[in-house]
Amino acid sequence: MKGNIIGKRIPRIDSVPKATGTAEYTVDLKLPGMIYGKILRSPLPHARIKSLDVSAAEALPGVCAVITAADVPMGKFSFFQWLADKTIFSSDKVRYVGDEVAAVAAIDADTAEKAIELIQVDYDPLPAVFETEEAMTADAPLIHDQESNIGFKVERHFGDPDNAFESCDFVVEGCYKTDRVAHCCLEVSNCVASWTPEGRLSIWTNAQAPHTQRQEVARILEIPLQDVRIINSHMGGGFGSKLVMDMKLPIAAVLSKKTGRPVKIQNTRAEEFSTAKTRYGYTMYVKTGAKKDGTLQARTVRVIADNGAYHDKGPATLNFSSMMFATLYNIPNIHYEGMVVYTNKQMSTAFRGFGNPQLTFACEVQLDELAEKIGMDPVEIRRINANTPGQKLQCGAVVPTCGLRECIEVAAQNIAWKEKYNRKDKLRGVGVANMVHTAAGGRYYGYNATDSFIKVADDGTVSIVTPGLEMGQGVHTVVAMIVAEELGLDMKSVKVLSNDTDLTPYDLGSWGSRATFVVGNAALATAREARVVIIETAAKMLDTKPEFIDLENGMAVARGPGMPEKSVSMGKLAAYAINNMKAPISVKGQWADDIPEDWDIKTEFVKNVRSFAFATQTCEVEIDKDTGEVKVLKFVAAHETGTTMNEMLAEGQIEGAVMQGIGFTLMESMTLDNGRVVNDGFLDYKLPTFGEQPEIDVQLIETGDPHGPYGAKGIGEAGLVPTAAALANAIYNASGIRVTELPITREFMLNALREK
Amino acid sequence: MKAFDYERPSTFEDACRILHAAGGSKKVLAGGTDLIVKTRHKVMAPEGVVSLKDVPGLSDISFDPEKGLFIGPMLRLSDVETADAVKTQYPALAAAVATIGSTQVRNRATIGGNICNAAPSADSPPILMAYGASVVIGDGKNEREVLLEDFFTGPGETVLRVGEIVKQIVVPAPPQNIFAIYIKAARSALDIALVGVALLAVFDPADRVVKDLKVALAAVAPTPVRSRQMERIVIGNKLDDTIIEKAVVESCTDACSITDIRTTEGYRDTLVETHTRQALEAARSWIEKGGVL
Amino acid sequence: MKRELNITINGQPYNLFVSTHRTLLEVIRDDLDLTGTKVGCEMGECGACTVIMDGRTVNSCLVLAHEAEGCEVQTIEDLTEDGKLHPIQESFVEHGAIQCGFCTSGMIMSTKGLLEKNPNPGEDEIRSEMRGNLCRCTGYVKIVEAIEAVRDGGDK
Repeated sequence: MKGNIIGKRIPRIDSVPKATGTAEYTVDLKLPGMIYGKILRSPLPHARIKSLDVSAAEALPGVCAVITAADVPMGKFSFFQWLADKTIFSSDKVRYVGDEVAAVAAIDADTAEKAIELIQVDYDPLPAVFETEEAMTADAPLIHDQESNIGFKVERHFGDPDNAFESCDFVVEGCYKTDRVAHCCLEVSNCVASWTPEGRLSIWTNAQAPHTQRQEVARILEIPLQDVRIINSHMGGGFGSKLVMDMKLPIAAVLSKKTGRPVKIQNTRAEEFSTAKTRYGYTMYVKTGAKKDGTLQARTVRVIADNGAYHDKGPATLNFSSMMFATLYNIPNIHYEGMVVYTNKQMSTAFRGFGNPQLTFACEVQLDELAEKIGMDPVEIRRINANTPGQKLQCGAVVPTCGLRECIEVAAQNIAWKEKYNRKDKLRGVGVANMVHTAAGGRYYGYNATDSFIKVADDGTVSIVTPGLEMGQGVHTVVAMIVAEELGLDMKSVKVLSNDTDLTPYDLGSWGSRATFVVGNAALATAREARVVIIETAAKMLDTKPEFIDLENGMAVARGPGMPEKSVSMGKLAAYAINNMKAPISVKGQWADDIPEDWDIKTEFVKNVRSFAFATQTCEVEIDKDTGEVKVLKFVAAHETGTTMNEMLAEGQIEGAVMQGIGFTLMESMTLDNGRVVNDGFLDYKLPTFGEQPEIDVQLIETGDPHGPYGAKGIGEAGLVPTAAALANAIYNASGIRVTELPITREFMLNALREK
Repeated sequence: MKAFDYERPSTFEDACRILHAAGGSKKVLAGGTDLIVKTRHKVMAPEGVVSLKDVPGLSDISFDPEKGLFIGPMLRLSDVETADAVKTQYPALAAAVATIGSTQVRNRATIGGNICNAAPSADSPPILMAYGASVVIGDGKNEREVLLEDFFTGPGETVLRVGEIVKQIVVPAPPQNIFAIYIKAARSALDIALVGVALLAVFDPADRVVKDLKVALAAVAPTPVRSRQMERIVIGNKLDDTIIEKAVVESCTDACSITDIRTTEGYRDTLVETHTRQALEAARSWIEKGGVL
Repeated sequence: MKRELNITINGQPYNLFVSTHRTLLEVIRDDLDLTGTKVGCEMGECGACTVIMDGRTVNSCLVLAHEAEGCEVQTIEDLTEDGKLHPIQESFVEHGAIQCGFCTSGMIMSTKGLLEKNPNPGEDEIRSEMRGNLCRCTGYVKIVEAIEAVRDGGDK
């Protein structure tokens, strides 16, 4: 759709403040009287705390407070409270290098750091375990007081895979592994906590889900929900790392309570790498079977996810990847078994894709193996198995729209698949991978709805109050575009008010590619409501019927048969409403996902997603025979957008995600030494730079969506879901080396080339 | 960051005196790009730093066709990289310096710092060693000149005594008919060397025989190291396939690579062989074309 | 220990009294509240704190404040004139080169340093000169486009 505003390449509404350095982030915040907190963290991966002595720290001049487990509520917490396993501070034992043990607040950061070093902790080291499959053995050290280190399990089953494999012409099996990688938000995790004299707690922080983090803070501190307020500033990146409350929030709150002053706690970059959580590392045993015509018949998978020391988004990650696993192709027989396993490492959490990039890597690499066995072109096997619009899948999911075939066509064409795939050039090759992802978040909460409010001021400004959480992806711009489109305004006339749980309606936050879909739908409903009220007001003011009024260029214009054209500005209309109709123009709108009431997530897990978005990525690589370096020459990313709301922002989301995918595939990895992250800076945790960016050809496929605003689908995560598989498949095409483990280091490639 | 004192003497002698009096507890501050990182990371905890910012003459650079290149230790890497004399007479030095860090880092970091940090992975020492460079060391009273290849004693360690400061880097005038190159292996466009190979060959254009060869390696030993075993194989010979192969086989003989968080010993050795071969091939092709592009 | 520091920031001379171990970044952000310059890694690896000091881009996290004695420092706050965006800022906005924005100040200052050194850099030079500025959001594509557009006189 191309409207006056929707579909245009419109600059972000927050780009001028960001380009001029005036946009304020939480790290920039300084409150009067603010002091600085610092957390003492465990230096050992697994140990009993024998004793703790804070007296020297307390005696240091400039120290305002020192707190330990004795000073905080010690109820266990987790994102899923039924899995609660973590307290604010460790009192009896620490479970990873970085576990919170104590904290100080001091007049400046240097003093706080010095005080931390003065706290004496006597540890009794325990045997630690770092690999999931080792942690699952009978004699592995137990990390929690449970029977085993398996923290959570999920199974999905339909059809009869065992029998189906028997009747398949071709079956392939393999084990695939992906590493734990860091989000690397350029703004580190940080917060400022402060209490009002009345006893209300305000926390300024960079949170992707302020309303649910507000609940989490209240829960862990055992204080009434109404006493907690979370305020976001501009946010220097999220990518899933800032969904669940970090322990620095309650710690800062307790330090602030104790000192009566605002307390800021900010990670160092090294702390961020060691404690800010990672993507779940997956070990995946996958088996796929097909008929000789290439149609997929059965697939089974066993996922072992590396939980780290405590629970976080593990169940959601496993559930979500199970769903995408069952939806990408219409496979009639499926078994999925997933588990999260505790290890003595930092926690894992959501990271752009909720497990889908990991499992898509395994499945789409295996699909190439299968195609090769059958003797089929990788593009062809994907084409014949691609879903079609309106299809009801065996797993129960319905895909009302599906642009996968168009995505495959354009991705293959733009990489010149036909000529390049069969080319016998030395060490140059092309690869392809498909994916499906949610375009609308998830329904795990049993609730997927939100509101917004619009008010029209007598200066003509239209303000929308939205809970849309802006973390850089552009949702505030999209919300402003929707309002401008519906009310005939230019972008400058729309103000977006957000970022404060005291101000905004309840919402679940920015994750799961849901913001444009859910928040955008609420904005659209609100704008349409406002349009009705504005038009009715204009009709009264211009003495005509509402059906003759249109909104354009900031004016309400009346045009009708046999009447002279009349118009009035939005500001005058608002003033008329206030003064003459005694009713200022302010409206509320809502969007609610129609979650079936009898829905059982266990049996009908595919209903977890309201809308799907499909995509295909192809790429070309060249491998250096002497160093093993994989040079990415080009990526084509063909993604279903439903309706493209803003081409420039959509391209930006996908380009950025592809680069994160390239990092995930070729460069990024956490290096541990007895549980300690040793590459805890950008020097040795390699991120893609300007030098690694290939040409990225983004193709936006508009298939519409029955539920998205203007038919739009969420696209925030999709861009990196198929990237690893496309790269691995291109590497195979170039070298004949089948890669099953990430990251694909140069050293691995070189050794593999030499072994051939 | 842990607090430390800061002094900014205005003469070289004062700087030496302060350092001497501190008995090793104070560090020279040149560009600071390494010192600040190490202090913040608690790898280093100096009681104080002695800035050379106000000491005159330490950023000078001059070239004499007979005597060679004289570089002040405080010259910023970006100025080394772009100095006319370096670009025209020592292009491989310019190229090596350009691989260091980012623009912002090269705008602060100094050539003296890159040398005196004595990081095994530093990019400028191997190529300077290949060019036969030495450093002039002063303690405020006396001076001594040390060949760069004798300067390093271990990771972060040099022959510098307490109170001594590198005063100048001297690079001999390049002989006629040379070829020099620095090849760096790294994990991304912004990285320190996994391996660095610097090569300088002096050849006879008439019979194409390599009269002299210096190869120095980064990041494969506790210090930058000459690959002497390999040099001996090449010197006095033409660079043909046989000699290159023999040389490559010996390229790691003087190295003792280790496995660290960046890569493994084995991969480092492979990279040395690969890049030594590339450097020798480049030299051969240069020599065969009579020393012109 | 503190000592006197005379420094000019964005054309404004300052006479400060600053601890000897503090960095230029800390003085800019914490003492002078010029928070447009961002703190990303404090190790000189991300470029978020890039400022221009005596005509050259530097990581302000790697410059001891007292090393900037007598220097002229320019930060992102100094680029707009009479409320009008600098052409580099304009180009970043127009080309979608900004997402979360946390790297943006540093990116823009590095671009300024690059174009002042060479007004006509090729794509390879742009990528090489900018390699010290990390961005996790954009994948760099649109930043390169924005820089090329400024180089080419802006294709607004």
